[in-house]
Amino acid sequence: MSESLIKIQIPVYLSAIFGILMILEHFFPMPGVVTGFNVAMRSFTTVVSAAALMLGVIFLTISHARTISQQKGGWYYSIFYMISLLITVGLGLLSVRNTNFLWIYDNMTSPTGAALYSLTAFYITSAAYRVFRARNWNAAVLLICGFIVLAMLIPIGGILLPPVVPIGEWLRSYPSSAGFRGMIMGTSLGIMGLGVRVFIGRQKEHLGIREERRGA
Amino acid sequence: MDAEIWGLIAGSAISLGAYSVLIGDNPISKITENVYMGILGGYIFATNWDFIQKNAINKVAGGDYIYILSIILSIMLLGRLKSEYLWVSRYPVVLTVGVGLGLAMRTTVMADFLGQIQATLLPWTSLNNLVMVIGTVTAAAYFIFTAQSSGVYKYVNTAGRVFLLSAFGVTYGQTVSFRFELVIGRLVAMLDPRVANYTYVMILIIAVVLIFGYTTKRIEWYSGR
Amino acid sequence: MSILNKILNLDQRIIYAALFIALAYPILSPVILPMDIQGYSQQAFDFSDSIPEGTIVIFEGGLGAATYPQGGPGMVVQIYHMLTKGVKIVFFSIGTEQNFWTVRAIETAIAKLPPGTPAENGVDWVHLGYVAGGEAGVGSLVNDIRATVTSDYYGTPIDDIPLLEGVNDASSFSAVLWWGGSEGSMPYGIRQISVPFGIPITGMSTTNEVPNFSPYISAGQLQGIFGGVRGSAEYEYLMRLPGPALGQAMATNFGGLLWMALVILGNVIYFIQRSRGEE
Repeated sequence: MSESLIKIQIPVYLSAIFGILMILEHFFPMPGVVTGFNVAMRSFTTVVSAAALMLGVIFLTISHARTISQQKGGWYYSIFYMISLLITVGLGLLSVRNTNFLWIYDNMTSPTGAALYSLTAFYITSAAYRVFRARNWNAAVLLICGFIVLAMLIPIGGILLPPVVPIGEWLRSYPSSAGFRGMIMGTSLGIMGLGVRVFIGRQKEHLGIREERRGA
Repeated sequence: MDAEIWGLIAGSAISLGAYSVLIGDNPISKITENVYMGILGGYIFATNWDFIQKNAINKVAGGDYIYILSIILSIMLLGRLKSEYLWVSRYPVVLTVGVGLGLAMRTTVMADFLGQIQATLLPWTSLNNLVMVIGTVTAAAYFIFTAQSSGVYKYVNTAGRVFLLSAFGVTYGQTVSFRFELVIGRLVAMLDPRVANYTYVMILIIAVVLIFGYTTKRIEWYSGR
Repeated sequence: MSILNKILNLDQRIIYAALFIALAYPILSPVILPMDIQGYSQQAFDFSDSIPEGTIVIFEGGLGAATYPQGGPGMVVQIYHMLTKGVKIVFFSIGTEQNFWTVRAIETAIAKLPPGTPAENGVDWVHLGYVAGGEAGVGSLVNDIRATVTSDYYGTPIDDIPLLEGVNDASSFSAVLWWGGSEGSMPYGIRQISVPFGIPITGMSTTNEVPNFSPYISAGQLQGIFGGVRGSAEYEYLMRLPGPALGQAMATNFGGLLWMALVILGNVIYFIQRSRGEE
């Protein structure tokens, strides 16, 4: 029982306390001790978030280290990961404004990241050619709206087909905006619903506990 | 040749390595990806360590001892490394989840919910206003409610779906343009007049290496569509 | 296999090569065409121009390596615009990568300023650096700056920065400039700063995210937005400050035309096959 208290119930109560105090502070005047507590908790959150990102890198490194030690398929590629990680971490721990550290980031990581992110341009074009069909009215609406807006965005589109500019602007400002507004409201309700579920302990996925379905 | 030019050449080389994945998985693209992950991981690690040092460790050293708690909570995250100590990492997680949810919930009510409802209360005096009101109501109904699509509600559902599809279509058109802009951004650097010739030579080298690899079957060729 | 099926089953690597050429050609051989200013960009510009001289704005720099080529030129222009108007700027970033590019944009903008324009670090602008925690980090920063960060990006203690004297939360700012790139973080600025503190906000996002934020614009919560490289090019044009964005905006022409041609071709073949009763 006490094990469940320390491992599950107290964390649930704590998440509710932190969240509810944040909400109350926003809507009602609170005593100084509460606002001071909230300021500290917000500040602690930034530190813990930074630590969580570091932990992510540690996990990735452990995975690559296992791949090398067990000589799994493609293990030699992980050596490149390790070498580049160690060099970058070494330089970065000296100073995050170290010239070599920033040079490596600027000229090695940035271009690769940009190139990898931009690969989707090729996939989206190939997929549009192979799959994007006006098979029914749903798909036709999607296709026509996408077509008009892309024509509006490329400068030559407005020259070849002048009507696409006002039509595209209208589509973006009114029907699309109305659709997204509905989604934003739905998402907002979702956030509030999720918050309530987390605070009352009905949702524990963030603790690594999957809720069992009733009757399952 | 100064550091900037060397930087552009290095960037061009590594970008070509990344782009080579378009031909199919090959050793050049895999090496590029792993080098990228390593450098990015190192950058994230070092930068976040710097943040913790400045905003927790230095504060404790300066006499603000309450920040020892933040350091302890950060260390507790390491409990995730072993399953029997996973419960230890729940404490820092509930801090971030609780605070994050509280901050989001307290402001989403006004900004995303009431603010948007208020903006939808428009006079029905123009087509645009009508489109906004009908579109918002029907899209919200389609998105949020799970009522059966029958009777009058069937038309509400259909209208909502049209507005949502127009939103997705507009987003798709914008996304296509965005993806092109990403490639263009990279190509502008690779085809910079100062380094364009180096880029062409590197394309040739990569082509020779890959052709050699594929013809001698050292690299597996995939018969893509 | 019929000729139509062969065309439909074209090896995707041929499409990749065609797109590569379509995007690379206008860079090697630029073609400049006339371009309208989008309504959202004009609104964002007009708002930025109306920010009173002598006030302080908070500026989130959220461009990463991939999005800096599109948004960087516009961000440089925004910083230039504010400093030449005498508006002071407090920068911060919610991403480690984004922090690096924010510094790059600041340095580029300062290098472009007319001689004599006040742009002293700590007096006319300050960069608070990377703030971890995403939306929670933003909430922490704008409610209590000193509890969140102890020094600026360059290591100067907050209490030694003249610009931040008497400034500890967002109530001291007259506007929010959110250059969020592809972070999708504009709602953080709206929820945590603009709505609670009643401060107007504008900024930039990548092209694909503009529709997501259009409800905020029509609700008056967001004062226009610069979208992607086209938005940056329009800002350069409106400020009469030529830069790299216009050439990049023009380079989207052939890629866009190729995409449209492929989609039309694919649909024409599909409808021909459907009319023949083929699969």
